[in-house]
Amino acid sequence: MPGTTAERRLASSRLILPAACREQLARWGEEGYPHEVCGLLVGTAAGEEVRVVEVHRARNRNTARARDRYDLDPADYLAIDRRARARGLDVVGVWHTHPDHPPRPSITDLEAAWEGYSYLILAVGGGAAGELRSWRLTSAAFAEERILEDDAGGAGDAQPAAIDPGEKRS
Amino acid sequence: MSQATVRIPAPLRGFTGGAAEVVVEGRTAGEALRDLAARHPGLARRLLDDDGRLRSFVNVFVGDRNVEEIGGLEAPLAEGATIHVVPAVAGGGAASQRRLAELKREVPEVTPREAFALQRQGAVLVDVREPDEVAAGSPAGARRIVRGFLELRIEEQVPDLERPILVMCAGGARSLFAARDLQALGYRDVRSVARGFAGWKADGLPIEEPRVLSDGQRERYGRHILIPEVGEEGQIRLLDSKVLLVGAGGLGSPAAFYLAAAGVGTLGIVDDDVVDRSNLQRQILHADARVGTPKVDSARATLEALNPDVEIQTYRERLVPENVERIFDGYDLVLDGSDNFPTRYLVNDACVKLGLPNVHGSIFRFEGQVSVFWPGYPARRGPCYRCLFAEPPPPELAPSCAEAGVLGILPGVIGTLEAVEAVKILLDRGDPLVGRLLVYDALEQRFTELRINPNPDCPCCGDGATFEGYVLYDEACAATPG
Repeated sequence: MPGTTAERRLASSRLILPAACREQLARWGEEGYPHEVCGLLVGTAAGEEVRVVEVHRARNRNTARARDRYDLDPADYLAIDRRARARGLDVVGVWHTHPDHPPRPSITDLEAAWEGYSYLILAVGGGAAGELRSWRLTSAAFAEERILEDDAGGAGDAQPAAIDPGEKRS
Repeated sequence: MSQATVRIPAPLRGFTGGAAEVVVEGRTAGEALRDLAARHPGLARRLLDDDGRLRSFVNVFVGDRNVEEIGGLEAPLAEGATIHVVPAVAGGGAASQRRLAELKREVPEVTPREAFALQRQGAVLVDVREPDEVAAGSPAGARRIVRGFLELRIEEQVPDLERPILVMCAGGARSLFAARDLQALGYRDVRSVARGFAGWKADGLPIEEPRVLSDGQRERYGRHILIPEVGEEGQIRLLDSKVLLVGAGGLGSPAAFYLAAAGVGTLGIVDDDVVDRSNLQRQILHADARVGTPKVDSARATLEALNPDVEIQTYRERLVPENVERIFDGYDLVLDGSDNFPTRYLVNDACVKLGLPNVHGSIFRFEGQVSVFWPGYPARRGPCYRCLFAEPPPPELAPSCAEAGVLGILPGVIGTLEAVEAVKILLDRGDPLVGRLLVYDALEQRFTELRINPNPDCPCCGDGATFEGYVLYDEACAATPG
């Protein structure tokens, strides 16, 4: 069963997620409920540390099964990636919600996952944002990575930011 | 040759030594990507498939445009263009996980060991995996019904709604969905095998490697496989079957054509004649360019072109008592397309002696006859040809096609009916023409069925009849091949 193997494994990496980003994800997850919503994590990755600076929401191309599938619009990806690069940042991962389901990767998540990205999953139970967990694909299986809140000293001048797709041109 | 910059997403930078951008050369997007793949070979497989097409899990943009919208890999590049490789980002599936959790409450599960014990007590183990999964191994004695056809085929395999059914897939998820659907059909005791075939194998339970069709065969015989009476199992049976055609003439032509198309694995053809232009009015295996060549060679060329799956064995000899048993050896049935009495009686006598079904056809002008002479048919005792006609008629009463003429299409009808009977017998489906003579009148466009009974005093197949050697009838009553 999916999830069971992943739970036993712990990734060596960690994801630093500013509180403001976490709150933004919770808002989007609740707004989108009961549908899955998805987007990208933008920030920096150095060694075992992935530092999220911004979270972005993107359009789900899978409108037929928006309740339980996402297929992120590549045009949105391109727009987010461009803006990130212009600021010396990178797409470092993907987030999506699991409405009424625990934040463990599904078989579908596993099949579509890329090594080198963090996969952040937010459970939204009955319309209320709940548990948030992050996963990385290593050797064809998911391992969970720790999520840390941003520490004031380590953030440098990068302000945690949450950017709605409405702001960007695509 | 223009230069372009390719932007590499983080998951693929392991193949570019960490570089986020790579400068490449090419006049089109495809050329640029192939240049990129040449510079960083690890990327090749991730971007392009074996046929050089873009893989489905990457998107490529030239500037702002997805290449799919501007001519695909042929999209032209301007000097200094920027190409973005965008990974497909997808996932989800929480709903199916949720449904699985619900199903686990609705469908009882058994361990592979429990399933094995229940199977030995009479429960039916149904493997619902895809053919390519089954090909690598399946539990011994399991029924294999692919998930997509489960509801349509289960009744045929398990008519008793009370009989316990154990459903198995690879890991125990698909089988839960399948089991729920079987419950909905009315099966009272349906259980899902937890951990599926992976668990069965890990527990060291018995496995067999069933024969399955190749992808090409599944495509070729797809319309057969869809028929419940044939299915994949029946098609494999046909592929394993051997039919001997006596004569590659008017009757043998359509019969051989359809049996080869149907995938009867081995077709033997006995004929000592060469193609004559007058044959081509009805003997559709042959061709004008092959006039003068042996009929068996001409038949082979046509049948191999239609279906290379079929093995064609040719016997360029006249069927005589000395060779009949050697030639018939190893075949499952004989399809008689001869038009002369010595051969017809020889075929009959050898089939009775060897216990082979003899699919019989004969034609005259506008009229044809079909039957199956098979005294050993398990469902009912049938007659042999001699029960009907103990001895051949005098030659003047038995004109050949060459003498009497024949409507060219008539052997098409009769030979095709013979092929139908052959396939039914090979599949053990339906009711063969054993003890029934089907008479076709093309002028009236009418079929008539006559009952023909076995003769208990038949010298060939009657009670207490003993084989006393083959009778060689006078060649005078052998008409020229028709």
